[in-house]
Amino acid sequence: MNQWLDERLHISRLNDKFLRKAFPVHHSFFLGEITLFSLIILILTGILLALAYEPSNSLVTNSFDPGTADKPNLIPAAYHSALKINAMPFGDMLRRIHHWTANIMVAAAVIHMMRIYFTGAFKKPREINWWIGMLLLIFTALTAVTGYVLPYDNYAYNTLKVIYGIAASVPWVGEWVAQAAFAGKFPGAGVIPRIYGYHIMLLPGILLALTGAHMLLMIKQKHTQPQYAKRIAYKKIVGVPLSTQQTPIMLLLAVMFAAIIVLFSAFIPVHPIEFFGPPSTTPINNIKPDWYLLWVFGALAIIPSFEVHLFGGLIGAEFVGAIVLPTVFLLAMFAVPMLDRSKDNMYYAENPTNHPVRLAAGVAFMASLIVMSVAGYKPELISSGILNTANANTVLWIALFLVPALSYFGVMGIVRGIRSLREADERERGAFSPADD
Amino acid sequence: MTRYKRQDPEITRRKFINAAMGGTVAVGGISLLSTLGTANPVFRLTRDKMPPLKGDILVHAEESKEGQPIKVSDLSDQLVRAWPMGKGEDGSNVIRKGDPNNILALYRFPKGQLIAPTVLEATVDGEVVAYSDVCTHAGCSVSDSDQGDGMKCPCHSGQYDPKRGCIVTGGPPPRALAQLPIKVEGEGLVVADFFLAMPYPFIAEAEWETFKKEVEEQLA
Repeated sequence: MNQWLDERLHISRLNDKFLRKAFPVHHSFFLGEITLFSLIILILTGILLALAYEPSNSLVTNSFDPGTADKPNLIPAAYHSALKINAMPFGDMLRRIHHWTANIMVAAAVIHMMRIYFTGAFKKPREINWWIGMLLLIFTALTAVTGYVLPYDNYAYNTLKVIYGIAASVPWVGEWVAQAAFAGKFPGAGVIPRIYGYHIMLLPGILLALTGAHMLLMIKQKHTQPQYAKRIAYKKIVGVPLSTQQTPIMLLLAVMFAAIIVLFSAFIPVHPIEFFGPPSTTPINNIKPDWYLLWVFGALAIIPSFEVHLFGGLIGAEFVGAIVLPTVFLLAMFAVPMLDRSKDNMYYAENPTNHPVRLAAGVAFMASLIVMSVAGYKPELISSGILNTANANTVLWIALFLVPALSYFGVMGIVRGIRSLREADERERGAFSPADD
Repeated sequence: MTRYKRQDPEITRRKFINAAMGGTVAVGGISLLSTLGTANPVFRLTRDKMPPLKGDILVHAEESKEGQPIKVSDLSDQLVRAWPMGKGEDGSNVIRKGDPNNILALYRFPKGQLIAPTVLEATVDGEVVAYSDVCTHAGCSVSDSDQGDGMKCPCHSGQYDPKRGCIVTGGPPPRALAQLPIKVEGEGLVVADFFLAMPYPFIAEAEWETFKKEVEEQLA
């Protein structure tokens, strides 16, 4: 059959070009693959969910609890269909798998990015792929957030209201942008069809296109080589080919990953929509975004109120906390490859301890995100008595500067320690080996 | 020896075609932008989206009692949420929950506990007071604080003191919750006027004034 196809499609050229791609053998190179597997599982489970989901926020009678003839129990059709999905055989499981995989996809992408950053793999010639990766991260988060809203329970409704408010907080154009993005003044009659369109068409389309570009560039430019490749064959590509050695490893990993997700989903429930109930004005205590957006939420909680009127627009705490601040952080991440001024192409993954400033800056950056995420727990910190309303903001602001600074200098100190140990080791070896010969 | 400089016609042609193609793509692309005009639907100010108006009856917002008029005896120092209920175009009752920002918070405190900057003339006997229940920060519904000190927003822990005109006592909100003037009619509570200050999501007094005029014009 191969020959039959080859005569017509020249697949042997495809084989030479793509299927022989060498993959470095190191566990840290599996993180991107896990992100890819998550995307595939998300698309498959997403298709199944879309088959049963009804994207509409118009009110229908709740068939589980119809109420009386003169006072029917009306709930949004989207929420109703989510309840029905939960009642289907394995329906709840399907939702759990989809939700868990989305969380793990963001996590895997973040850790993948950490690997790239700490080993310097973003350097020339791979800057473009770093930027595509950044876009992938942003669009993954956007896809996850829009998916969060679709069950349209009270939690989703409150989240959506805050998201709408954030979009509307942009000076001058905010109100228009929010209405255009969410189909009219909140809650517009078409808000769920709109978000459904984003979640299943627009954003996945962008994600798939970016993923394709990300991988084509990776095949074109080759992986960065792990350090051991330098010793084996200097400036040669070392690794196992995609077909056939890497394929069974990937399949094994994919099956193991799927098994872990199913295990998670079987035992750990997510987002109990029955508990939150349909959209209402009753606020939800301890409402929080998913972990990867908690830092923005925390920033909003500690930024004090201020209002600056400028040319008829309003610049407020909400705009600064939820739009300006994340933009600054993301721009800093976009700028990472430009901070490196080396002219040579980069072949080998670097040992993070040989680049202490980069390592420490990365750790400090993450420390600041973690402190902001902790600030997202301000109400809990106050009600548990660790902080009180008077000092909470002050303590959290001090922590926001102190913890990253301490982690920066802490990492520098540790790296210095490691290096002096290593140097001492080398000196010793150098002192003994020639003489002993 | 040629006296004139020969121009390579290939280059000019290519340049021309590139410019023509670029222009076509730009014009075509920009014309496609017009389809985005469908994204923002027309806003129709229907009765259910109007703010609390003079003469609206306050009804319970809680699901089990929704639509029942609120009596003064239902109220206490614990928050009770209410919707304004007015008349539709056909004269039937319309609960104004088409705009979720119309949700109200009602309290009844013992006489003398309500103090400035609460507008006492806009309360019932200095005892019953109504505020917008929508946090001025990000538009979440505000609840009673679990610490028993006033009101607290579950989203970013903004705090308000309902006994002092719902001024901000902590957290990020930029301004107090707007007070709604109310009076007693029969057994029920009735809205006496518009909010005294601009409620969420307005950001400038002028905008709120324009909106009030728009509502009045439509009703006239």
